[in-house]
Amino acid sequence: MNTALGEATHAEWTKLRTVSSTGWLLLTMIVVTVGFSILEVVVQKCPTSCSYDTPKLSLTGILVGQAAAAVLAVLAVTGEYGSGMIRITLTAVPRRATALAAKAIVLTGVVLVTGTIAAAWSLIAGRYILPGNGFTGVRGSEVLSLSAGSTLRAAAGSVLYLALIALFSLGLATAIRDSGASIAVLLGLIYVVPLIVQFGILDPRWERHLEQWSPMNAGLAIQATRDLNTLPIGPWPGLGVLALWAFGALLLGGLLLRLRDA
Amino acid sequence: MSTPTITPYRSDQRPGSDDFPHLLRSEWTKFRSVRGWLIALIAAALLTALAVVAIASTANGKQNPGAHPTVAIGPGGVAVTDSFYFARQPLDGNGSITARVTSLADGELPGQGMGSSTHTAQPWAKAGIMIKASTTAGSAYAAVMVTPGHGVRMQWNFVHDLPGLPGTPSASSPRWLRLTRSGDTVTGYDSTDGTHWTEIGTASLAGLPHTAQAGLFAASPQYVVGAQGFANNNNQPTYDTRITGTFDHVSLVGARPGAAWTVGHVGFGTGPAVFAIGNGAPPVTHCGPNGTHCKGMPSPPQSRFTEAGGRFTLIGSGGDVAPYVADLDPLGIVLKGSAVGLLAVIALGALFITTEYRRGLIRTTFAASPRRGRVLAAKAIVIGSVTFVAGLVGTAVAMLIAERKLHSGGWVSSVYPVWALTSGHGLQIVLGTAGVLAVAAILALSAGAVLRRSAAAITAMVVLLIVPVILGVILPQSAAVWVLRLTPASAFGLQQGTPRYSQVMHACLPYNGCFPLAPWNGFIVACVWAVAALALAAYVLRRRDA
Repeated sequence: MNTALGEATHAEWTKLRTVSSTGWLLLTMIVVTVGFSILEVVVQKCPTSCSYDTPKLSLTGILVGQAAAAVLAVLAVTGEYGSGMIRITLTAVPRRATALAAKAIVLTGVVLVTGTIAAAWSLIAGRYILPGNGFTGVRGSEVLSLSAGSTLRAAAGSVLYLALIALFSLGLATAIRDSGASIAVLLGLIYVVPLIVQFGILDPRWERHLEQWSPMNAGLAIQATRDLNTLPIGPWPGLGVLALWAFGALLLGGLLLRLRDA
Repeated sequence: MSTPTITPYRSDQRPGSDDFPHLLRSEWTKFRSVRGWLIALIAAALLTALAVVAIASTANGKQNPGAHPTVAIGPGGVAVTDSFYFARQPLDGNGSITARVTSLADGELPGQGMGSSTHTAQPWAKAGIMIKASTTAGSAYAAVMVTPGHGVRMQWNFVHDLPGLPGTPSASSPRWLRLTRSGDTVTGYDSTDGTHWTEIGTASLAGLPHTAQAGLFAASPQYVVGAQGFANNNNQPTYDTRITGTFDHVSLVGARPGAAWTVGHVGFGTGPAVFAIGNGAPPVTHCGPNGTHCKGMPSPPQSRFTEAGGRFTLIGSGGDVAPYVADLDPLGIVLKGSAVGLLAVIALGALFITTEYRRGLIRTTFAASPRRGRVLAAKAIVIGSVTFVAGLVGTAVAMLIAERKLHSGGWVSSVYPVWALTSGHGLQIVLGTAGVLAVAAILALSAGAVLRRSAAAITAMVVLLIVPVILGVILPQSAAVWVLRLTPASAFGLQQGTPRYSQVMHACLPYNGCFPLAPWNGFIVACVWAVAALALAAYVLRRRDA
């Protein structure tokens, strides 16, 4: 890491940790993720749902918690545009790609740490609640254990998913610059496709394509641990699709940041 | 010496007034003078229409068997389930049929493992008397019947249902039923003693032929166990049920002298109305011990008719005489495309106040009209009205095109009606969707006033309005229905396009786009949220510095 990027990263870290909203958003991310995961594992009972994917059940909260990661990333950049801070930032770090990279690094680090806590607590809740609901390893159900490679992949992948959502949001917000518009567009891209395809009334071909290319449907394939051959897209290729979205958004944001006046 | 009097300066302008119409006007001026907001408003209407039409175009019904089920068509062109067990005689011209019901027993068919907890297997199983145009499935009829769960009912032409005496009949408390035909009009009566009759209702059966069929009937729909699970793991186990009705004092006025009872199934294995998927039992090629009644015709198991000394026992299993209710709700699902417009509306609602905080305009606003609650009310009215109008335009256009796309895409109109915009149901969908958008904007405004940050307010609204619908599919049904009852997302039930009837048991699976609350009740839930949020916002605005 060159010193310019190192210093820029340090500056971004200082900015992020001294804004009061950061702490609240990270706390929200953990509470919402773990809360919804607990809700899901509490209400699932084995006699009817023994064959369900227990790691996926335990990580359901990621679906809601990602909204907090998106807001955190959006505010990290639009907050600066709102207050005019961006001009100071770019005066201090004139290489705009470096400034954006520093933001991405800090954001990724913070979300990875917070996401790990959230995913870990979700899995712990699943590990101890699911057996009480009949998921005791009989009748095709599985007991959660990180020693199973696929469970570890689902958990680690969920954390990566949150980080990629944050990067996707950062790129898009850099391009849009307004916090309200950014978050509305982002949440639309994340939630509207799952909302429509889940009812299964679309032409199967369209449905498959949408599931393969929507950031959330594709990205969350990383949580699946069974019946992988029936998925529209495999776990790692799915996360790869989300990475493409994030990369594309960052590229667009970076390009516009370079071309436009701050 | 006179000192010149100094007249203090007084502006020629009339003093400003902070009455409510002026407040409304100033908020309207603020809204319309921001170009981005006007663009967002138009975008909300356009995106709603575009998204809905795009989804409708890809909602392929031709490959979906649920889009074109095999059903009978009743009077008025609606899809119906018309399969039941019928002991009948021809009735020439005017006349009447009377019967006394002394017992009604219901239950599941043995050996199906539904469990002993289901005391009333099918509250809408039915046994009673009927006058029907013919034995063709879907033909006009009027009937008075007893049910295990809903007392005496009079029903005619499938969609009409009126209540009679409550309770179930027994030997000590029997129910007398009577149908009287006069021309095209059939009147239903019930009584507890056979002398004092109460009229339940009058049915007008257009084109009822001179010779109609009158007799005793029984039908017991399948019991559908709603079940939905995670990751496309959905199934709906069904159990066959049966109903046993015991009749005596059966009399037919106007019957042919010496005519015998003809007994058989209507609608099972006959013509296009083979059996109605969903409500009916599949035909089983197996006849009861008294096989003469179902010779050569597949019939559901367990149906029986016995007569001994004026005492008739009729056991009906499977079938129903009711409108056909589809599980799917394609129009309601397609209209979820309005979520795109909803996002724009939520953003507008939040920005309508958070922008004032960011720019400091809020201080000017409160200096001009210090009563903050009234400012909030004016803002709510302005943003609610403009989003309502945008929603109305967007949804009306979307409905018009989407319904035709669905129809041409293979979703048959007898099951999935094409509602005219001016019909009651069409109005419910269009006004309802516009109402949901307006309420969402007011909720977002309140969230913006409390949180003062557009990103946080918009996200909170998405989590309250859109995420519950996604969770409704992921969570098991027991939890999903509560999520869809308690969150303001319950208002989306107004977009339901497939008709539902209270006299047809229907497994309401959120997975199929069904919302557990009655449409307008769901809207009330959302309104309660909006009122509570406005109250909180008013309180917070008054307490905090601007």
